[in-house]
Amino acid sequence: MAKFKLGSSIILVVLITLSVVGACQAFVFTDPTGLYSTTIWDQWVYQAHHSTAQITVFYGEGNYDLLYFESLGTVADDSVDLLAERSIELYGDPGGLESFQLETPLKTMDVAGQSGLSCVYTYEDARGNTLWEYRVFLLLPGNQGFSIALSSDKPWVRENPPLLEDILANWRWLL
Amino acid sequence: MKTSRLQRWFGPWTVVLLFFVLLSGSVQAASLGERFERTLGGSAVPEILKQYGGEHVLPIGQRMWVEEIFRRLVEVTEREDVDYTLTILNSSELNAFALPGGYVFITRGLISAIGRDEAELAAVLGHEITHIERKHGVNAVLRQMGLAVLLEVGVMTLDLASADLLRVASATLLQLVSLGWGREAEYEADLSGQALAVKAGFDGVGAVSLLDDVFTVGSEDLPMKIFRTHPDTRIRRDRLEAALVSFWSTPVVVEDRDVVERLNASRNSKQARRNDPGGRYVVIVPDEGAGLHVFDQQVRQYVTWFENTKVHDFAWSPQGQYIALIVNEGSQRQLWIGDRWGKKTKSVGLSGQAITEMSWSPQGNQLAILVDGPMGSEVMVTYLEADVLLQVGGDFTGESSIWLDTGLYFAHGDMWYHTSAPKVSPVTIRNPVPQVLQRQRILSPTVIKEGNTIRLTRPSLTIP
Repeated sequence: MAKFKLGSSIILVVLITLSVVGACQAFVFTDPTGLYSTTIWDQWVYQAHHSTAQITVFYGEGNYDLLYFESLGTVADDSVDLLAERSIELYGDPGGLESFQLETPLKTMDVAGQSGLSCVYTYEDARGNTLWEYRVFLLLPGNQGFSIALSSDKPWVRENPPLLEDILANWRWLL
Repeated sequence: MKTSRLQRWFGPWTVVLLFFVLLSGSVQAASLGERFERTLGGSAVPEILKQYGGEHVLPIGQRMWVEEIFRRLVEVTEREDVDYTLTILNSSELNAFALPGGYVFITRGLISAIGRDEAELAAVLGHEITHIERKHGVNAVLRQMGLAVLLEVGVMTLDLASADLLRVASATLLQLVSLGWGREAEYEADLSGQALAVKAGFDGVGAVSLLDDVFTVGSEDLPMKIFRTHPDTRIRRDRLEAALVSFWSTPVVVEDRDVVERLNASRNSKQARRNDPGGRYVVIVPDEGAGLHVFDQQVRQYVTWFENTKVHDFAWSPQGQYIALIVNEGSQRQLWIGDRWGKKTKSVGLSGQAITEMSWSPQGNQLAILVDGPMGSEVMVTYLEADVLLQVGGDFTGESSIWLDTGLYFAHGDMWYHTSAPKVSPVTIRNPVPQVLQRQRILSPTVIKEGNTIRLTRPSLTIP
């Protein structure tokens, strides 16, 4: 009986390990315009028909799981603080996002040597679902705005999810 | 007759003094007139907002796009005394109008109907801005009140700041605004608005396609009120189409013809023409009488497009989204456009005239064609998205044409000539913010109705 228990425990540990390893399998994604590369978990699927030269979109397993990177082009803001503050103000203004609420204040972060600001906010989509979005604002040399966003209908995006940590840890600017 | 010394001395000075009095009067009149315009327009704004459901706030991205188009148009206006403002009205009606003093209005319904076509939106806003530039509104009000003459002979005698006058003028303005400022004013706003849009870097064809879209709607109730005062929209559309060629440069002789000839030869090489720029198809030969024989490299199969059609010539668009063909249709030699799945999307034919050659614009949205006429082949340009035909070769006929980034070149006799379209600059938001995307949960196939059958296609794919 004890042998059986030990055997099943080992199998269980192996299975859990395999599933964790499997879950963390990732591929290297290189931006078609040659601006950046990073790793994306296999469960996140690139959406060619929603992506353009400016925006790259991935869908996750959940119905609302969404990851996207956007090159804004030249912005007039002199600092990433101004870009982030202006964006948040516009999201909250009429014509912005429905029931917009800043859940965590802006905090500084580093993305492969470029300092940026991140925050988490919630808003309602047209069907009344509350969506959570983790947003990173960056201002690259030449006043090129850039943004990374991860959203879901679940609040897991709020707690520095491992997916985002992996993306940011493996981020490389190619310019 | 003798004049006294006093008369001789004061005579010229009197003239000078009178001149300055009149000048200062007219400057004051101009300034008073401008103030009156602004006050008059402003007085009608609350009533307009009330009638059209108040102000509508567009989503951030769309708002920035509309504002940027408006800003570019205002930047090239001539009147410096006008402070232009744009208001989006919360109405589903398809409407736009302008009030004296710089107030431009457009409904959310019209913005929605226009979609993301910046040339069409620039045409609407250019039209409305022109009404203000040319003082159509204020003149119509004064004309209606019988005061136009007074304004012209000397506004100083008229108390334009009078509250009574303003009240009556404002009521007249509200009556007139729904009717338009008169047929001639509308014609002028059409053409000058189109020219303003071109000057601001938009494609002037937007004014034509806008009217075509209204025709497509085809209902008595739906056409925009901005066209209400025009019983014959066809005339307006044709005038706008005819004006398009005026924006092209006059053809001039090309000094360095060798470069153009080399480029033309390389472009016309069989190899260059066969390959789809998208990398999927290779056209084997235009099959005489049996369509176009194509090898699909993705599924490694031969397919025939445009079956039972005699294809004389073909050319892929620069981005490979379309293929243009010269085909025999009955006794006519026509231009056909097909998509990259071999489906015909458009045809251009001219009664009794054969189309003999074609050349895509570098952007892939226009085609230069040579059309056989009594004096030789006329050099014409047609649009992919609009039914227009412009004779851009001026008095010259052409034997061959090539369209490069620097413009359209055509051979005439031993010479090559160059002409170019006005520069079109796509709208770029000056100070963008990151978009907020939402996941689209269902990928619906496109439903295409063809006669009695319905065809479902996969959602369109685009390569970033």
